[in-house]
Amino acid sequence: MDLYIQVLVSGLLLGGVYALISVGLNLIFGVVRIINFAHGEMVMIAMYLTFWLHHFSKLDPYVSAIVIMPVMFIFGIVFQRIVVQPILATSATMKIFATVGVSLLLQNLALIAWKGDFRTVQTSYSMSSLEVFDIIVSIPRLVAFSAALLSIIVLYYFLKYTYVGKALRAIVEDHAVARLMGVNVEKHYILAFGMGTMFTALGGVLLMPFSSVYPTVGVTFTLLAFVVVVLGGLGSMSGTFFAGLFIGVVESIGGTFVSPALKEAIYFAIFVLVLLVRPQGLFGKGKGSEEVGLK
Amino acid sequence: MKKAAVTLVLCGALAIVFSAAGFAETLQIGALYPISGSLALLGEESLRGAEIARLERNKAGGIAGREIVFEKADGSTVAAARSEAERLIEQKKVPIIIGSYSSSRCMAASEVAARKEIPYFELGAIANAITGRGYKTMWRTNPTAQDFSKSQVAFITDWLASQMGKQPSEMKVSIAHEDSDYGTSVAESFSTLAKESGIQVVSVEPYSANATDLSSVIFRLRKAEPDIVIAVSYAQDAILMARQAYELKLKAPLMGTGGGHSLQSFADALGAQADGVLNVDFTQYAVNTSFTPGLEEFLALYKATFQENPRSGHSLANYMGASVVFDILGKTGGSMNPEDLRKAAMSLDIPAGTTATGWGVKFDANGQNVRAVPLVTQWRDGKLVTVWPQDAAVMDPILKE
Repeated sequence: MDLYIQVLVSGLLLGGVYALISVGLNLIFGVVRIINFAHGEMVMIAMYLTFWLHHFSKLDPYVSAIVIMPVMFIFGIVFQRIVVQPILATSATMKIFATVGVSLLLQNLALIAWKGDFRTVQTSYSMSSLEVFDIIVSIPRLVAFSAALLSIIVLYYFLKYTYVGKALRAIVEDHAVARLMGVNVEKHYILAFGMGTMFTALGGVLLMPFSSVYPTVGVTFTLLAFVVVVLGGLGSMSGTFFAGLFIGVVESIGGTFVSPALKEAIYFAIFVLVLLVRPQGLFGKGKGSEEVGLK
Repeated sequence: MKKAAVTLVLCGALAIVFSAAGFAETLQIGALYPISGSLALLGEESLRGAEIARLERNKAGGIAGREIVFEKADGSTVAAARSEAERLIEQKKVPIIIGSYSSSRCMAASEVAARKEIPYFELGAIANAITGRGYKTMWRTNPTAQDFSKSQVAFITDWLASQMGKQPSEMKVSIAHEDSDYGTSVAESFSTLAKESGIQVVSVEPYSANATDLSSVIFRLRKAEPDIVIAVSYAQDAILMARQAYELKLKAPLMGTGGGHSLQSFADALGAQADGVLNVDFTQYAVNTSFTPGLEEFLALYKATFQENPRSGHSLANYMGASVVFDILGKTGGSMNPEDLRKAAMSLDIPAGTTATGWGVKFDANGQNVRAVPLVTQWRDGKLVTVWPQDAAVMDPILKE
């Protein structure tokens, strides 16, 4: 029995990490509908920044988030201005090409600048865990889980109640009308991209105490984050959270009781099934909402 | 003053003429390694070893008076390895290829080479199938997965079992392996050899080397209750598995199978928890140097060329392998004719303990070097030291509780 609960707990913690990495993408892809295939590389850059800050100034990874989040906010803005803004009016395919290109560029720049070494941050809590009734809870993963939950709550209220949040949702539904209502569309796109990148960076920072960083670390995260966001429903913050947990638990149970080699296959199979039945995702807004802004 | 200047210029000109005239001709060799992408670290480390061998050989006069030149190719993925092999052969017209660190990349690239009858020398990939396909132009200087398993099984029966107060037949072993050619090949060999010597294999757990979480592997291992876990991992997954094994309280000790477990980054990431982790791999640097003549010279040359210490023994293995390739080409007088190469390669008979890796050289009919033996190493206070067999060891192995 213990094993079943342990597997479930590990799965939930893993899911929390997945949700955390996907929050930023949900803002960029889910809310403002820009397909960003360089998402994983943003995680990678944040991880490297965490590593170097720790390496040179012994800054604790959790403290370094205070520095890295604003830096990555600016990075997101620059990225939006240089790569995305010029092709904003073109089809989704163009954005895929452009961001895949940037993703490859960033991977190889990282390889040139920081080499292929696998870098880790060694902290006192890297391998620490709590034990509750013989169930082991990894502390850095618990922190990531909590941060995911907190980010989701913050973004939920931000989108629902602030002016900027409402404007962002209006732009996606009909940007011509939004503009007529006095919304500065360009400015809001830039803001959304900056914020999305910032939350993505938070994910990267919180991963560092228990994962290693290397130039191609982002590749798996990009795919994963897209699955989480689409499964949860584009733009739905609670959807991202529960979809992350769902995939984490499926992976953990499938990996333990079926085979570790099949765990990805199992959640992709479920993903395909869900999309067949509910193309708008588990928490999506309504039929057809998944296509708004992408056609 | 003017005279001095003229003399200087003349000297300079002469120096240029002479260095250019040192070699009238070049000898092109394709060097195919993953130098970008997820395997870039050890791929590049391997290439560095071959590069040192090249520099050394050119300094000593090259091959039959010709300068050795590498035509480098990046096998960043399996598909890239295949197309790069095509490019090397069709466009660059290289008559011979060396490589390739990764077993899956070697399988793909050497298949292309074999079809075009271009000799392919593998210096670092270990999957058994590489020299088991009956290709007449395929050679390998490094040990196979089978050799790795042999060392592991021998270490378990000769040392570990008695340390645990058990008969070899009472030893229970689990295998956790990454699921490409490398991991699968080791897992199969180990299972077969273990069965022959009566060791019980209680579970086999394949996983993807790109996994972001290996907790499910650890739970399965906990359930199987082995005495020792044989892990076959690349770099990132070796760290992840060891960290999660500690976190999730896996009791059995880990024994790596080359690759990730030999890297300094593994010890750095695990800190004190790395201490006592065993590993079977190519020859590493903390080894009895009377068993590995030439290792110190290699290290000095490596540091002078790359301004840092080697990241693992992969460079050494490739240095040794590339030197053997050059020896063979020396014997043929630079001829790349597969028949001449075959004759020269088969005539090599170098006893163990006389090369920088401690390996001897004797090729079998499949082109496999049968005198290459992996050694058992152990992390001790942040250093990877050779602990078994005795003639290569610098310390005795310990069993950590």
